[in-house]
Amino acid sequence: MAQATGIVTITPGQSARAAPEPSGWRAWLRQPGVLTALPMALLMLTGFVAPLLLVVAFAFMPPQSFSILQPPTLANFQEIFANSFYRSFLASLYLAAATTLICMVVCYPVAYAMVRVFGRVAGVLALLITAPLFVADNLRLVGWMLFLVKGGVLSGALQAWFGIATDSMLYTVSATLFGLVYTYLPFMLFPMIMGIAMVPLEMREAAFDLGATRWQVLKEVDIPLAMPGILIGALMTFILAAGALSEPRILGGSSVVMIAQDIQNEFTFAQNWPKGSALSVLMILVAGVLAVTLLRRIDLDGIFGRR
Amino acid sequence: MVTTEAAAQPILQLRAIEKVFDQFAAVDRITLDIQEGEFFTIVGPSGSGKTTMVRMLVGMDKPTRGDILLRGRRINDVPANRRPTCMVFQSLALFPHRTVGQNIEFPLKIRGVDPALRKKRALELLAQLRLPDHYYNKAVTQCSGGERQRVALARALAFDPEILFFDEPLSALDYKLRKVLEKELKDIHRQTGKTFVYITHSLEEAMVMSDRIGVMNRGRFVQVGTPNEIYGSPTTRFVSEFMGEVNILDVTVGPDGTATDDVTGARYLVPASAGAGPCSLVIRPESLRFVAGPGQAQNVVTGTVYNEYLLGSRVQYQIRVGEKQVLLLENLRDQRYEGDLDSPVTAGWDTGDSMIFPKGLLQ
Amino acid sequence: MKRKNLLQSFSASRRELLRRSAALAGGIAAASALPRAALAARENELTVYCWEGYNSDKVLDPFRTEFDCDVRAQGLISDPDAVNQLRAGDTRIWDVINLNNSWGRRQLYPENLIVPLDQERFRPHWDMMLPEFKWPYHWAMSEDGKELLGNIQRFGPSGMNVDTNVISVEMAEDQGYNLILEDDFAGKYAVLKYDDWAIMHTALAAGFSPFRKLTEDEIGRFEQVMRKVITNAAFVSDDMNAIALGVINGSISASFPGSVYTVSTARFDGNPHFTCVVPKNGPAELGGKNGVCWMELTSLVNNPQLSPRGADFLEYVLRPEVCKNVAFAEGTFNPVAQMGDPRVMEQFSTEELDAFQWDRMPELMARCADFDDIPDYPKLHAIFTTALREKGV
Repeated sequence: MAQATGIVTITPGQSARAAPEPSGWRAWLRQPGVLTALPMALLMLTGFVAPLLLVVAFAFMPPQSFSILQPPTLANFQEIFANSFYRSFLASLYLAAATTLICMVVCYPVAYAMVRVFGRVAGVLALLITAPLFVADNLRLVGWMLFLVKGGVLSGALQAWFGIATDSMLYTVSATLFGLVYTYLPFMLFPMIMGIAMVPLEMREAAFDLGATRWQVLKEVDIPLAMPGILIGALMTFILAAGALSEPRILGGSSVVMIAQDIQNEFTFAQNWPKGSALSVLMILVAGVLAVTLLRRIDLDGIFGRR
Repeated sequence: MVTTEAAAQPILQLRAIEKVFDQFAAVDRITLDIQEGEFFTIVGPSGSGKTTMVRMLVGMDKPTRGDILLRGRRINDVPANRRPTCMVFQSLALFPHRTVGQNIEFPLKIRGVDPALRKKRALELLAQLRLPDHYYNKAVTQCSGGERQRVALARALAFDPEILFFDEPLSALDYKLRKVLEKELKDIHRQTGKTFVYITHSLEEAMVMSDRIGVMNRGRFVQVGTPNEIYGSPTTRFVSEFMGEVNILDVTVGPDGTATDDVTGARYLVPASAGAGPCSLVIRPESLRFVAGPGQAQNVVTGTVYNEYLLGSRVQYQIRVGEKQVLLLENLRDQRYEGDLDSPVTAGWDTGDSMIFPKGLLQ
Repeated sequence: MKRKNLLQSFSASRRELLRRSAALAGGIAAASALPRAALAARENELTVYCWEGYNSDKVLDPFRTEFDCDVRAQGLISDPDAVNQLRAGDTRIWDVINLNNSWGRRQLYPENLIVPLDQERFRPHWDMMLPEFKWPYHWAMSEDGKELLGNIQRFGPSGMNVDTNVISVEMAEDQGYNLILEDDFAGKYAVLKYDDWAIMHTALAAGFSPFRKLTEDEIGRFEQVMRKVITNAAFVSDDMNAIALGVINGSISASFPGSVYTVSTARFDGNPHFTCVVPKNGPAELGGKNGVCWMELTSLVNNPQLSPRGADFLEYVLRPEVCKNVAFAEGTFNPVAQMGDPRVMEQFSTEELDAFQWDRMPELMARCADFDDIPDYPKLHAIFTTALREKGV
């Protein structure tokens, strides 16, 4: 009988496992993985998905309205396509592409040096590069404005030291581009550093040993293997730059209007939330399609060398 | 054995090469000649300096002092990409973003060889390494461990090096596959007739493949010789110990040439090579055998069988002698011990099968 | 003329930023004290939603001390934005709201978003006012003229700003906005991107009032003028300091539109040659007025739990020394309607009066129509943003 009681004490645990699964979702909820993912899932739902859905819903509301409980309409999209908004989209895409390209070229040597050359100094360097991020980008851009403006730091110094008179370097497309490159450089640099750090040293040595020159090692091994980092950096830079607001305003003097400015305008001055939402939806679509195609192009698993 | 007959000049000569890191000599004044067509294996435990040495030989590091001569020409300062040698890495260092074919063709592409020719050569190599043709387009990352080994070897062969170096390429594989590939590698060596310099921490592996073995410890060669020489007459306890599981008894050799066991006080006959004083007596497990009683072997000990380990074709027994001594005995499987565990047993060995080294010699 | 958006409010100046951070920290501190305050039935707490100035510590700190009150104040970023927030239910959050003149009478009160003030308590304070704001002042009263909807304090005229070293005041007043539209003047001015003000002044430049429905022809004319204004501009900015900088370093000589609000800090910093001008000879339908003036109305929100401190605050800001602090808030300097009272006047030095062109104020105001609803705003705004987008070609 002692044995029997022994069995009885064990049964609860056993029967819970042996008994047919209690109504599916309960068992599912009880999994530790689901439980631990729950807070994050809730956060994403309320903080990310919900506002996005709200924007999407608003995009189909009648113009100049403030409620999402009206019959949906395509009026906003019709208005957008009838107007010249494609210019802002093109400007954004063009400037974002140029920014990404410039950032790539500028960042690669720096990132490479930080991984392979600088050693311990790299940490300090990283800190120096991230430090400005602690200051709001608007403020940093105003700093650049004071630096570049006629009679500002740069033209003042040129005038005083070399007697070179310069005109204002502000309020042009180039100034906008400069601001974009400046602001989004870290977003290219750090993923790139991770990408380069991921390239096994032996892989480079093997290529070198098999007769490759430095240039060939760079082309055949370094860049392809750092590609996940480079692409993630490029994607981040591109999407952030395409959504830039302050750079074309503060440094560009609206010499070129980017899409985020149009969106902001609709939400504030125009008080036309549906049209602003429709523009946002289109921008999200453009960025989303781009991200998906880019990420699909490369076989991430293959590159990460899943063995 | 593909030994040299006429090689007037060794293909590779090391002249007192030394590599110092922070005053620590990882490679300590090594002088060595490697002959054309030889399969030379450097074997040693981790930290013995063997990897440092091979990195200097392929050109990835420079020796602090000393010279490396390739066919008589000093190559200390020639970088790896301009040396006619190449290496198969421990990690294999296959390019994960390239197919099998692209990996094999890599050295040819670097040299600007015509794509059609490249492909032809790659397919030849696939065949030589017994990989199917369609692997040409397979992703390297989808290959098994053994296939990857073959691809790495094919890539190195595509380079057509004068000397092919290997840095423990088989160490990550399971035992069975390792055994297969060891033999394949030796076949490839015969087929190509190239000089192979192989690095491993497994003497067993070295024994299977090599023409000559150099046993390395603390930056120096402890013994260089053919596998037979190394196995039959290791010159130090380090080498013998390194060969795998051995029984080592601390003994004191008396003036009469017999040895007294420091632990049990038993007396043994030992080979004459060592002088008097504290020594290590080394007996391989396979040299020990069960005996019916004294007189069946030149030396006997009595103890109990404590445990039995089945090793495939062989069986190992742990024999406890008294409180403190444990000996390993290895038999073929068909000579299994029939008695119960913990029952008394007598084991013995012949003096000629044991080795004796003065204590403290390169421990 | 007012700051119109959030981003701009970060870009002004370092002092500005510090001040805002302090206000924010204060806001957070106040918010953390909220639960306690709620128990005290809102006797000791007050929330203010206002154009910048009223939310400065110079104004709020003495009130906090004197009334032992937690004050949370937030600068607003655009009139319509704030009105829409109140419509969306934020009346539960705020006690005091401060907006440009037309909103209270036209929208907030009819929609029951604000409550009338106690006339017995506030009527006497109207004795402090300048003549043009004498009781019963149009924008402070309900449409039926019976209720007092709020107090008028800061105000200002708007036309364009010019560098008098390059363009004389007389020339600017006589030639008016045509000066800007001359092709010779391309690249010599900046457009101040406070959208509704740019739209109102472009309508004036096109020769009609923005405060009524426009005909198709007028809208066509508006578009023509707007495109020219934008295309010829050296740059477009919503940062009045960036524009002032351009005038000071000589790269531009005018701002369109321009107002005392956007020129006063530059003047106070030693650039009296940068001046607000309201041109003569405006559209006949506006009686020849060629500018727009704004007056701020400070009201009590129709909050179900309105803090009793709200009315106290409205009275507090009418004290002479507080009037001065409101007028000389950091970031922008403006006249206040209470300057009809000598006790208020004596708070200001000559330099301070000159910063907001006090000597010419009656003249400037006389040439301005009152800020009002723009019925065609959505259409005109679309034209404005399209012109900006298409500037490049």
